[in-house]
Amino acid sequence: MKKLNNVMNGQLMRELGIVIVFAVILAILMILSPNAFARPANLMNIFKQASINGILAMGMMFVIISGGIDLSVGSIVALTGVVAASFAHPGEYPLIVPVILAVSIGLLIGWFNGLGIAYGKIPPFIVTLGMMTIIRGAALIVSGGAPVFGVTDEFEAIAGAFLFDKIPLLVVYFITITILSAYILTKTVFGRRVYAIGGNEISAAFSGIKVEKVRIMVYMISGMLAGFAGLLLASRTVSGIPTAGQSYELDAIAAVIIGGVSMSGGSGKWYGTVIGALLIAVIGNGLDILNVSSHYQLVIKGAIIIVAVLLDVKGKEKTT
Amino acid sequence: MRKVVLIVLVIMLVMSTAVFAGGKKESDVDKYALMMSHMTNSFTITLSNAVKAAAEELGVELVVFDGGQDVSKQISQVESAINQGYAGILIEPASVDGIKPAVTAANKAGVPLVTINQRITNQELAKAFVGVEHVEGGEIEMKYAVKAIGGKGKIAFLLGPLGSDAQIGRTKGYYNVLKDYPEIEVVYEQSANWRTDEALKLAENWLQTGVELSAIVANNDGMAMGALKAVEDAKKLDQIKIFGLDATADALAAVAEGRLSATVSQSTEAQGLAAMEALVKLVNGEEVPAEIMVGHTLITKENVADFQ
Repeated sequence: MKKLNNVMNGQLMRELGIVIVFAVILAILMILSPNAFARPANLMNIFKQASINGILAMGMMFVIISGGIDLSVGSIVALTGVVAASFAHPGEYPLIVPVILAVSIGLLIGWFNGLGIAYGKIPPFIVTLGMMTIIRGAALIVSGGAPVFGVTDEFEAIAGAFLFDKIPLLVVYFITITILSAYILTKTVFGRRVYAIGGNEISAAFSGIKVEKVRIMVYMISGMLAGFAGLLLASRTVSGIPTAGQSYELDAIAAVIIGGVSMSGGSGKWYGTVIGALLIAVIGNGLDILNVSSHYQLVIKGAIIIVAVLLDVKGKEKTT
Repeated sequence: MRKVVLIVLVIMLVMSTAVFAGGKKESDVDKYALMMSHMTNSFTITLSNAVKAAAEELGVELVVFDGGQDVSKQISQVESAINQGYAGILIEPASVDGIKPAVTAANKAGVPLVTINQRITNQELAKAFVGVEHVEGGEIEMKYAVKAIGGKGKIAFLLGPLGSDAQIGRTKGYYNVLKDYPEIEVVYEQSANWRTDEALKLAENWLQTGVELSAIVANNDGMAMGALKAVEDAKKLDQIKIFGLDATADALAAVAEGRLSATVSQSTEAQGLAAMEALVKLVNGEEVPAEIMVGHTLITKENVADFQ
């Protein structure tokens, strides 16, 4: 028993606090809805619904670990979705054009964010808040204020198709991006530098890290993934909607924070972010299936976010 | 160097506002203002374009203001328009309660004000209202849905933001019709806030429950298109029929292809025309009815070609 306590309070608990919270919520929903929620088809459905937010959260994770924040991703989703849909009408451009446009527009916006933060020395909150507004306006200008319809079947298949007839491509993208992000964050020099500048920018600079360059890269990653997410959302909803993606940045931030990444930067694990994104999708799906009114859903979601992080923080405190 | 750059930037900014504000000559024709609650969806764009076209036809000048879904901003816009000597004001209110101060100010200044699409709480303060009965729209949509599924089965509602005028009216229309059909059971009734992505997610989750739905009835076409995507992905379009309202371009295309069972037009263009005509009459001292209602039209595969 003592040994078990040690395990519960020790290293394992510290690392796995959020995993346990996730497992408990999953178990509760499975008991409440054994025939609908717990079906394998629904679990795959949840994975699919977590994907777009999960991809945004991967980018957000780099930014938050580096000590920043990116509020512009929701607007980037809208702009790149509108642009992608505009270039995806039948018989106009090959499929690669909207794909490349969406990703590179995201990358470019991320680069601007990074420049303002790294060289302009403007706080990330302000730069990306301004960018959020500018890009939302750009999405409305490009689309003339109304949704863009009439995309090709191939464009719809980007997010709608399946691998081996079973696994939604959205899930495949999410897993691939997660593996890449995990590799970059944990196995490369760049990844260690992201942690270093988030932990202590001054000592990072003293140890020879080009802080500005790393910062710009981080926002470019976030912007690029947001551009890709915009493409996926436009494909999934078969239209580019200029008002889409509102508050997506907050869901992405929530996933990262639930996953145990510190808002002050310098720490956090990739798998925590994955769990965070899955947890948000699980709650939404479970409450829809249990037919809980949308008003109560908001209250429950908010409360679960706070409680999850509280348990995580308490779990970490015990060991230090 | 930095200061010079900064000064140049400021000058450019100031000049750009002058460019946007300028270019409008003072003229003899009456100036009218159209205050839109926002300009971010098909409905508001269509409506403002219809009013613009009507103004051109009537030979008056029209300026469109975008309220950005913010009622305090809309109030300021009305106040400035009054001060600038606009002859009349058309308003598509951002809030049916909050807009009252603007209406009072227009009355005090003797500037005729007509509300469009949404009735405000103190409608008696405005000179006229032009719009549709949302209840009627809901009834038309639901009557057709009931017929299409043979008067029985389990159905789901996708609602607009709870508490909005259109959501309340259309949903009331649904229940007015359902009173006579005890064999129809409403199993789900949730808000997807007019949004396609939210409706898609919600419908996907409903389909996971194994409940055999016969129809999904949506308060607008944006949400109907989200539900349609979910049902098509699940290959259940032969079992579940989808119904929308608004007659947006993609919904009309889906009706023509036989994927969406029906949509309902709230005659947006007719609303814009009737409102502009009424306001010009008021400014010229003529009388108009306090309520000018425009009808809804059901659009199915049979008559969709007339609307495309």
